[in-house]
Amino acid sequence: MKDTYWEGETETMDRRALQALQLHRLNETIASARNSDFYRGKLPVRVERLEEIETLPFTTKQDLRDSFPAGMVAVPKEDLVRLHSSSGTTGRATVVYHTKRDIDVWADLCARSMYMTGMRNTDVFQNMMGYGLFTGGLGLHYGAERLGALTIPASSGNSKRQIRLMCDFHTTAFHITPSYALHLYGVFCEEGVDPKRDLPLRIALLGAEPYSEGTRRKIEKLYGIDAFNSYGLSEMSGPGVAFECTYKEGMHVWEDAFLLEVIDPKTGTPLTDGDEGELVFTTLRREGMPLIRYRTGDIASVNRKGCPCGRTHRRISRIKGRSDDMLIIKGVNIYPMQIEKILMDIPEVGNNYLIEIDTVDYLDTLVVKIEVGQKTFHGTISELEGLKRRITDLLRTEILIHPKVVLVEHGSLPPSEGKAVRVIDRRGEK
Amino acid sequence: MASQVTVFVENRPGRISKVTRVLADNELNIRAITISDMGEYGLINVVTNDPDRAEEVLRKEGLTVSRKYVIGVMMEDKPGSLADIAEFLHKKEINVANAYGFILKEGARAVLIIEVDDFTHAERVLKKGGFHTLTKEELENL
Ligand SMILES: [Zn+2]
Repeated sequence: MKDTYWEGETETMDRRALQALQLHRLNETIASARNSDFYRGKLPVRVERLEEIETLPFTTKQDLRDSFPAGMVAVPKEDLVRLHSSSGTTGRATVVYHTKRDIDVWADLCARSMYMTGMRNTDVFQNMMGYGLFTGGLGLHYGAERLGALTIPASSGNSKRQIRLMCDFHTTAFHITPSYALHLYGVFCEEGVDPKRDLPLRIALLGAEPYSEGTRRKIEKLYGIDAFNSYGLSEMSGPGVAFECTYKEGMHVWEDAFLLEVIDPKTGTPLTDGDEGELVFTTLRREGMPLIRYRTGDIASVNRKGCPCGRTHRRISRIKGRSDDMLIIKGVNIYPMQIEKILMDIPEVGNNYLIEIDTVDYLDTLVVKIEVGQKTFHGTISELEGLKRRITDLLRTEILIHPKVVLVEHGSLPPSEGKAVRVIDRRGEK
Repeated sequence: MASQVTVFVENRPGRISKVTRVLADNELNIRAITISDMGEYGLINVVTNDPDRAEEVLRKEGLTVSRKYVIGVMMEDKPGSLADIAEFLHKKEINVANAYGFILKEGARAVLIIEVDDFTHAERVLKKGGFHTLTKEELENL
C-alpha cells in the first residue's frame, strides 16, 4: 500500500468517512469565506448536511471578474504569498490568491497526482509548460519537487533545447500539451533522435488543451510511453484537481480538497452521477481565497463506480465541451470541442478549419470548412475526396450528425492564432 | 519529361483568371489548360513552357500548387490520331487518369497530354510502340 499511494489513507478512504471529512471542511470553508467582501452576508453560518450545499449560491467567472482585484480574499493581506492571474483576453482578469499553506496543499495534491501515474523520486521530470502567471507550469513544478523527482524547469518552446535537455539529463517524465508533443516529435525526427530508442522516457502528463483518446494513443506510440490525462483550472489553483491513475479510465477528482457537483448548465439543477453536465467545485482546503460552488463551464460526467486502483475518489470523464459553447443542431447537443478534437487528430487539417451552422429549407446544416494547404495537396482529386470522406465519417460517428465537409483555399479562413472564431452560427440571421 | 502544375481553387468567380493572370504577368506561356470541376472546388491543370517557374510564381501568390509529371504524346492533327493512341494504351493496359490535347499548328501537329499512375512504364511502352513523347526541352521550345 505504501508503494501504491502517496497519501494512502486519504486516497482510499471509504465514502462515508470521506463525506464526513468534506462536511467538516465545507463548514471551515464557509466560515472563512464569510470574511471576504464578496461572500459577506451571502452564506449561512454552517450547514448540517452535505446536501445543503445546494442551498448556497453559485459563484461565476463574472463574479470573479467583478471582484477584481481582491474582493474574494478571506485572510489578511500579510498572510498571502502568491497570486496567479488569468490573461483576461475577454473582459477583466481573474485573480486567485494563495497563502503559504495553500501553496503547500496544492503541491501535495500535484505530488499525489503524479505519484498516481507511477512517477517516483527516481524520475527526471522535464516541465515543458509555461511558468509564470499561468498555473500549469508552477503547479506541477512544486508537485514534482514535493514528490522528490529531479525537476528541470524547461518551460515551453525552444524545441531543440528541449530535446537536448532530454538527451543530456535522461529525462524519464515530462509535462506537455498534446499538440506540442506531436509537434516536438517532428523535431525529434529532424534531429535524428528516436525518443523511443534513444531516451529512457516513460511517462507524459498531458494537459492544458482538449484532445482525443486517439491523440493520446498516438503520443504513447510515437514516444513509447504512458500518457496521462489531467484536469485543472486556475480558479481551483491549477493542475492537480483531477488526474488519471494507471487504469486511464477517467480522472480521479481529489474530493478531500474539492467538493464536486454536476449541474444542468441551463437550470442549475444538480444532476446524478453518470449524467453529463457542468462541473461545479467548492474549495475545501483553500484559505486565501475560498470559492463556493464555482461554475467551471466544463461539461463532463461523473463515474462513481469503484476503480481497480483502490482509490475511492470519483472519476470524471474527459471534458466534452464548454457550457457556453453548446450548440443544438437538429435537436442534438454538440460542443465545438468534439469537432475540434477529431480535426486535431487528422494531420492534414490541423488548426485550419471553420464550423458553420445554417438553416436550409428549415433544416439545420452543419458545414465544416477545411483549408487545403501545400501539405494536403498532391494534385489528385482522389486524395481530396478521400480526405473529405474520412472527416465526414469520423464526425458522423462522434456527433451523430452528417456534416458537409467543404474544402477551401489556403488563407481563406480566419487565422488560427489565439482564440480565433471557429464557429459561426448563421441561424436566425435571416 | 513533361510536367504540369495543378492548382487547387475554390469554385468562385475570378479564380481561373487569377491563375492565368499570374502566369501572364510572369511571361509564362500556357500550352494547355484544363479544369476538373468538383462542385465546390476544382483543380486547374496547366502546361506551360517553364513548369518550374510556373510552380514558383503561383506558390508565391499563396496558391496551393502541386507538380505532376505527365506524358506529352506528339500526334498528327488529323482524324483518327487520338483513337490510335487511345487504342494502343488500352491494349497495353495503361490506365489513363486524365487526358487533354492541344493543337500546335492547324492541320499539322497536335499534342496529347496524359496523366497516368505509372509514369515511367507508360512512357517506355509508348516509345516502344513508336510514339514520340515530348521531353522537357521540347515542350519549352514548342
Ligand atoms: Zn483509479
